[in-house]
Amino acid sequence: MKPAPFDYYAPASVAETVALLQQHGNEAKLLAGGQSLVPLLNMRLARPGVVVDINRVEELNYIRADGDSLAIGAMTNQRSAEQSELVRERNPLLYAAIRLIGHPQIRNRGTIGGSIAHADPAAELPALVVVLDAEMRIAGPHGERTVAARDFFVTYLTTALAEGELLTEVRFPSLPAGAGWSIQEMTRRHGDFALAGAIATLTLSGDTISEARIALFGVGATPVRLPDAEARLAGARLEQALFAEVGRAVSTSIDEPLTDIHATAEYRRNLAGVLTERALIEAAARAA
Amino acid sequence: MPSRDVRLSVNGVSYEASVEPRMTLVDMLRHELGLTGTHVGCEHGVCGACTVLMDGRAVRTCIMLAVQADGAELMTVEGLAKDGELHPIQQAFMEERGLQCGFCTPGFMMSIHELLKATPDPTEEEVKDALGGAICRCTGYEAILQSVRSAAKKMRP
Amino acid sequence: MTDFLRSLDDLPVTTPKWVGKPIGRVEDPALITGKAEFIDNVTLPGMLHCAILHSPHAHARIKSVDVSRAAALPGVVATLTGEDAERWTRKMYTTPDGWGMYVLATDKVRFVGEPVAAVAATSRYVAEDAIELIDVEYEPLEPIVDAFAAAQPGSPKVFDDHDDNIMYKRLFSWGEVENAFANADHVYTETFRWNRVGANPLETFGVISEWNIVENTLTCRGSFQTPSYIAMGRAATFRLPSNKVRFIGQPHGGSFGGKGGGRGTDITAMLSRKANGRPVKWIEDRMEYLSSGGSQAWDRHYEVSIAVKDDGVVTALRVKLLDDMGATAEGFGATGAAKPMASFTGCYAIQNAEYDLTLVATNKLPASPYRGMGPPPHNFVLEQMMDIAARDLDIDPAEIRRRNFIPADQFPYIIASGNEYDSGEYEAALDRVMEMADYQQLRREQEAAQAEGRLAGIGVVSTIEPGVFDWNAYTIIGTRGIGIPEGVTVSIDTMGKITARVGFPLEGQGQYTVASQLLADYFGADIEDVRVVLADNLTAPPNFGPGGSRLGVALTGAVLGASARLRDKLIKVAAKLFEVQPEDVELMDGELRVKAVPESKLSVGNAAAIMLNRSDMLPDDVDPSPEATFAWTAPGRVEPDEQGRVKSYLTAANACHIVMVQIDSGTGKVDILKYFIVDDCGTRLNPANVDGMVQGALAQGVGAALLEEYVYDDDGQLLTASFMDYLLPTVHEVPIPEKDALVTPSPFTPLGAKGAGESAIHTTPAAIMCAINDALLPLGVRAKEVPASPNRLWKLIHDAQQA
Repeated sequence: MKPAPFDYYAPASVAETVALLQQHGNEAKLLAGGQSLVPLLNMRLARPGVVVDINRVEELNYIRADGDSLAIGAMTNQRSAEQSELVRERNPLLYAAIRLIGHPQIRNRGTIGGSIAHADPAAELPALVVVLDAEMRIAGPHGERTVAARDFFVTYLTTALAEGELLTEVRFPSLPAGAGWSIQEMTRRHGDFALAGAIATLTLSGDTISEARIALFGVGATPVRLPDAEARLAGARLEQALFAEVGRAVSTSIDEPLTDIHATAEYRRNLAGVLTERALIEAAARAA
Repeated sequence: MPSRDVRLSVNGVSYEASVEPRMTLVDMLRHELGLTGTHVGCEHGVCGACTVLMDGRAVRTCIMLAVQADGAELMTVEGLAKDGELHPIQQAFMEERGLQCGFCTPGFMMSIHELLKATPDPTEEEVKDALGGAICRCTGYEAILQSVRSAAKKMRP
Repeated sequence: MTDFLRSLDDLPVTTPKWVGKPIGRVEDPALITGKAEFIDNVTLPGMLHCAILHSPHAHARIKSVDVSRAAALPGVVATLTGEDAERWTRKMYTTPDGWGMYVLATDKVRFVGEPVAAVAATSRYVAEDAIELIDVEYEPLEPIVDAFAAAQPGSPKVFDDHDDNIMYKRLFSWGEVENAFANADHVYTETFRWNRVGANPLETFGVISEWNIVENTLTCRGSFQTPSYIAMGRAATFRLPSNKVRFIGQPHGGSFGGKGGGRGTDITAMLSRKANGRPVKWIEDRMEYLSSGGSQAWDRHYEVSIAVKDDGVVTALRVKLLDDMGATAEGFGATGAAKPMASFTGCYAIQNAEYDLTLVATNKLPASPYRGMGPPPHNFVLEQMMDIAARDLDIDPAEIRRRNFIPADQFPYIIASGNEYDSGEYEAALDRVMEMADYQQLRREQEAAQAEGRLAGIGVVSTIEPGVFDWNAYTIIGTRGIGIPEGVTVSIDTMGKITARVGFPLEGQGQYTVASQLLADYFGADIEDVRVVLADNLTAPPNFGPGGSRLGVALTGAVLGASARLRDKLIKVAAKLFEVQPEDVELMDGELRVKAVPESKLSVGNAAAIMLNRSDMLPDDVDPSPEATFAWTAPGRVEPDEQGRVKSYLTAANACHIVMVQIDSGTGKVDILKYFIVDDCGTRLNPANVDGMVQGALAQGVGAALLEEYVYDDDGQLLTASFMDYLLPTVHEVPIPEKDALVTPSPFTPLGAKGAGESAIHTTPAAIMCAINDALLPLGVRAKEVPASPNRLWKLIHDAQQA
């Protein structure tokens, strides 16, 4: 399992990267952590003519507090983010999501931006940015632009990144004070890609839910928010039966779930509902 | 594309190689540098047999390109023993029967090295977390867990 | 045959210092430093690298193969097609006979992954570039993927020159089966499905072949599980004189029966020949292993019935098995269908039994052996039936087994299918494991969980783990021969150091350590003074190597036999020196002593030195060679009778497992909460080795029960072609059980050890599945398909709850 031949560049800046992408057009593929791309190269399922390795673009490696948000450079290493005090303090949900990514050895090379740009339907970070309404900063031949998470994931392994563009930063808004959160996923083995997952955040006002957010991953081609479920929960009284009801509704609402040898469409619908319910229960328990 | 030069240090020794960009790091280590203690089990980043330390971090070298290691400091199984003295991790594995066929062992030991360096007194969960990314088909893991506990004890001052 | 030492007490040492002690392994220093020479570490001058082009179709006619573009690629030195294979080789030997092909496809391809062509180039990278330049024109044919459909008359055929796809069909009937069912108080029948699962050692197969075109000899180095056996196969394939084929086994990263390598060896041999004799290396990559290697086994459809009395005593067992062998019988997967006969009725005294066996060909990968060699699925169905009867009759599952056990005073015991169990104490094992588990307390915990609506279940199973196979176990499916010599040559040099020559390479079981321990204690030496060296197939005594849980016993027998022969020579030397008769001299604690005058003694080392350096001091009938060879084979093996009854596997180890699981009803995921094992493999020569075998086999059993499955679609495409989809258990998925050992020595083997290499894989899948079904009992549904994936279990639970 050896890759087909390719040309290789290791630019040191965003500007250089953009220039290379422009020069090589659709022949070029960005190499970030490589945990997804290199297996595909080895299997010859990916055969780019040019590999642009952005691991030396130091300017994309940072974690900064920015008002209420965390601004994280796209090439920030997942393990570094996991070990960052700032991340743990400012966004425990982000921390928890990173912890679920594979194994430490994967996180030692994987990047925050890489996981989001690769957009595997079963990955945690894409669903996380969707639930948080995060912002993606993008650099390209025509300069910089920002895309909201809700517009970023287009379809299976496809994002709003146009040819010649790269993700430079992700801005993760913090959760409202006192909000509870949970991330639930079903894997066959610890660390595997999820067959399905749910991320929920709940903000309470006494016994009432003032805001609920739910995103699912692993169920469809992209992560999805659940506006109907969120609407049902907003303003409702906090109780177990409600979460069960929401779970059931979510189950039946999934339109065309992915189906594969590990999970049929029917089973995925079920998981969507079960994990939503469990995420809500845990989020409620965490909410102040 | 013509070959590129890669300069790196492995186990404290400087190496230079000229490789195609598509050559994987594990292939360079094994076949260009002759360091065959690191093994290949799957070539898609799942089994962990190819794990080495790069700048202190356990990484899967079958899914890294050799050119990405330019300027890096690597540690492989060959770097564990010093002057004929086995490393405490190696000692522990032998004493606790942490290996049977030995093929997965170098990869496991490097991950354990990273773990114990950062966390000299790991919890059971932290140990399993570090080991969970690699497969052993022979031991059923019990003896590997015992090896980690024993190594941790040996390495604590 | 020499006299056999029946127990450790018989060793010529006052107190064994090495045998039975958990000493460190002699294999370890090289492995732990990364210095062991796995095949991919080996480089030979002028060596080329092979890549193989595999069929993308499950079933297709080959119209043309054009390698010209590949041959023109710089760096490519030789190419190979089916034409070459037809010209230079015989079709592969298969079991059953006549269901084989050439090592490269010729007229058609019969499974996705089948090798079609190959190249040898200056690097594996270039070789893989080259195979993309090979143009093959296929005419797709209808793939035959469903075993039942394939077994129907009129089905499209995998082999056009056969009447149908039935590789083997036979009904074995033992005892009075009809009668037992007619007179039963209860009859239970159920169908089961066991999906393909397989070995997956962490190291795939690898080989370097070198064809010497001047001398017309072939030398192969590789990760061979059984070098001398595989060497013979190559000699036959290439029509080479058998002593012109030299096989050197490298230490390898596990085998578990499914290392494979026949085709790869032959392909590289031919490429070497075409490359003017340059060595050609092929390292099978993981995707190749999963789709076209020795990776898949036990693709089974069962229908099972038992006849039971009111008190739960089972009077008859009927097993109907449709075993999907895949496209050819080259992998010896059929042996896995025959082996269950060695322990057909398990631990139970069921004297009437029937085996309705059909082996069918389909367009899938040829099935290979895998640890356990067939009984793991068989034990699963048998233990399920015991539980089904138990529940219906309201008898505790442990109790129903107790009522059916072969009593401890009836050994050696001949079972209905003819094999003989050497010894066993099944009740004692059950008692001990129930005590360890605090069984009554477990049941109370289960009740409490169920009261809270949780699906908790307990499995209690007891199985036989047959050991020390002989070829006669597989005679019914076409294997020839009786007896498997396992030879060792033991020599002592002038300096008193002991060397043992064996024919099998390292694969992880620690057998070199076992041999060293025995020799050290036999000759009163320090283990540092003993060395085991690997001899290739031409220089080793007759041998087979590991397989069928035989090596521990066979090696013990061979070492003791050779040691006894050597001892006899040394005694003669000492007798001459002390001017007494040989019968007046004994070996004890490393010294040859005159029994009546113990001060008259000669060390073993000095006796050897005398033999080599003082021929004047030797008796006439002793040649100056402190060396002896002995090949051990199981005694008393004969051919099967007309009903296939035969004493095949020499030993019957026993294991009793209790496991508690909980099923998450929302996801179908199984949590193993508690696990208890009592195993009895007779005398434990190296307890740490045995523990390692048990735990490793347990992990494989967990994988088989819950995670591992090869999936083919309706077009015969393999959907589980990487480790992303074929799921091996990690540390998180494998429980660490509480273990205890019972020791019921074998009366038939040297030192009373029983075969223990395959161990818990015979038992764990049955135990987990029984626990799962115990958990599902309140819902009135049954998991009948393995693995019990979360999707499958959830579906069962969900459908039950809807009903």
